[in-house]
Amino acid sequence: MKRDKKIIRLAKKLVELSKDNGVVTVARVGEVLAGLKQVQHRHHLTVLKSFLNYLHREIALQTAVVSTPGALSGEALKAIEVTYSKIYGRPVTAVIKQDTSLIAGVRVRVGDDLYDASLAGRLQRLAENVS
Amino acid sequence: MSSIVEQIENEIASFQASAVKSNTGKIVSIADGVAKLEGLSGAMYNEMIDFGQGVYGIALNLEEDEVGCVILGDYSKLKEGDEATTTGKLLSVPVGMGLLGRVVDAIGNPIDGKGPINSTETYPVDQIAPGIIPRKSVDQPMQTGIMSIDSMIPIGRGQRELIIGDRSTGKTTIAIDTIINQAKINNQHRNEDGTFPEGFRPVYSIYVAIGQKNSNIARTIAVLEKAGAMEYTIIVSASAGDNPANQYIAPFAGASMGEFFMNNGMDALIVYDDLSKQAVAYRQISLILKRPSGREAYPGDVFYLHSRLLERSARVNEDNGNGSLTALPIIETQAGDVAAYIPTNVISITDGQVFLETDLFNQGIRPAVSVGLSVSRVGSAAQIKAIKKVAGKVKLQLAQFRELAAFAQFGSDLDAKTKAQLGRGARVVELFKQKAFNPIPVEVQSSLIYAVQNGYFDAIEVAKIVEATSSLRDFLETRGAKVMDTIRTEKAISDATEAALKTSLAEWVAGFSA
Repeated sequence: MKRDKKIIRLAKKLVELSKDNGVVTVARVGEVLAGLKQVQHRHHLTVLKSFLNYLHREIALQTAVVSTPGALSGEALKAIEVTYSKIYGRPVTAVIKQDTSLIAGVRVRVGDDLYDASLAGRLQRLAENVS
Repeated sequence: MSSIVEQIENEIASFQASAVKSNTGKIVSIADGVAKLEGLSGAMYNEMIDFGQGVYGIALNLEEDEVGCVILGDYSKLKEGDEATTTGKLLSVPVGMGLLGRVVDAIGNPIDGKGPINSTETYPVDQIAPGIIPRKSVDQPMQTGIMSIDSMIPIGRGQRELIIGDRSTGKTTIAIDTIINQAKINNQHRNEDGTFPEGFRPVYSIYVAIGQKNSNIARTIAVLEKAGAMEYTIIVSASAGDNPANQYIAPFAGASMGEFFMNNGMDALIVYDDLSKQAVAYRQISLILKRPSGREAYPGDVFYLHSRLLERSARVNEDNGNGSLTALPIIETQAGDVAAYIPTNVISITDGQVFLETDLFNQGIRPAVSVGLSVSRVGSAAQIKAIKKVAGKVKLQLAQFRELAAFAQFGSDLDAKTKAQLGRGARVVELFKQKAFNPIPVEVQSSLIYAVQNGYFDAIEVAKIVEATSSLRDFLETRGAKVMDTIRTEKAISDATEAALKTSLAEWVAGFSA
């Protein structure tokens, strides 16, 4: 896909319009899509693809994907949400993802940032330091 | 084995259950050693990026949504969608005395099969050059062992002297000769226990091979080993087969290794062979990164690429260890065009240049140093008195000789003075012919030039001067050893030494003529 600066700028603006109090909401996204359909941009499909791409990024920034090999209590999940909301200064929703390769502990991903407190990660770092 | 157990025990002792934060990104595209990554929002300029599987890269382009990264090493295993992590570190290479005698790649990994490098210290490859305050003027000579250079274009410790010329004109040979000469001087002064006497400053060498054939690098190593110079030398190799990122980074890695010696009060010599190929590698990286191109398609910052590298060579003052890093960058010209982009850039950055001419090389004048176009801007301050005394007028004499020789072609009737000038000039040209990898000690150089200047060669046919020079050199190194020792230690030709030298020369003339 060719990167057009104008389209990128438009897609980013659309993402901003999709936010309500700094959080992307389904209702706002629906409104933005309806508006886009009305306007019928010359590169409608490209704009949509770019919008989807930046929307994914924005959602990733608002979501803490908690990978863990076992189950996690609701309280723990809540505590994670509170902690990361405080760190990033915006509301962060926690989502659980099961990953048995971690052996034990948790790994949390918020956007590009990865917080690793898993045993597998610990062992990997140990191996790197020893070799 | 016990050290590994110890390391594991230390790790367990320092175990903390806290989370480790890293910043990640995904490869969007990868081609020709350059990867574009999505994410990595926390990446810093020039930061090392970990691609996993032992592959690292350097973040060179930080854009709004993407990070452009050059990959060091084998990138064939990487694919679109692979994850990369920031490391929070700048690219660093091992430095220290343990590197001497070793051949390493652009990031300091050994490639000579002699096991791991014995080094505990690392330096970042891209460091800021010493400022104005820690610097000192060049005042100590860096003897190349090449008579034409040491007498007419002297190089000082901490100087940057460009070696420039077309292909196959002997550029590398001059650099190798200089490295061999440093090793010879070091060995001459070394005590039996391997230490050096107080007051003597050994010179360690770093040879950075950029974009060269592996066979050429192997030949260079063989020459250095044969001459016993490898034990004082580090070879950094980024051959033509290496990816452009390695060719771009190799000179910086070499400079870091050299800076270790300078920062620790020692003297080092670094040869960049050659910077034209580094510029080409940098151009390739820049074009793939879609940076705007300028003259000859080089990016706008190609001047800064070379200036920031060569500024790292310096002579620092006593307060900063009194060390030095001398640079001999090499530039290959195309058809003698010194006005091309990269040659003019590097000429303006360096403190002088040794220009080698194809015509002279083909005429058999080797090293093919063009006296008219070569210059050393600061080195004369570092020349020892012995050489200064005898070689002060050589450059002028040679220039006059070339002018007279050009005029003499048109007429046969010449006065005695002109004939004598032509004869002397022709003999000096012959005197400066020197075999490759055969550096001449400075005391012998000064005596040989003294002999020509004072007419000891006048009776010898021009065609026999090379033979005579070789004979006189042997004579001076054997029967004249005492005089040579005096010149070496005194670094000057006193009246008494001059008298002794005259006697030796007269003895040699009698023997040679007979």
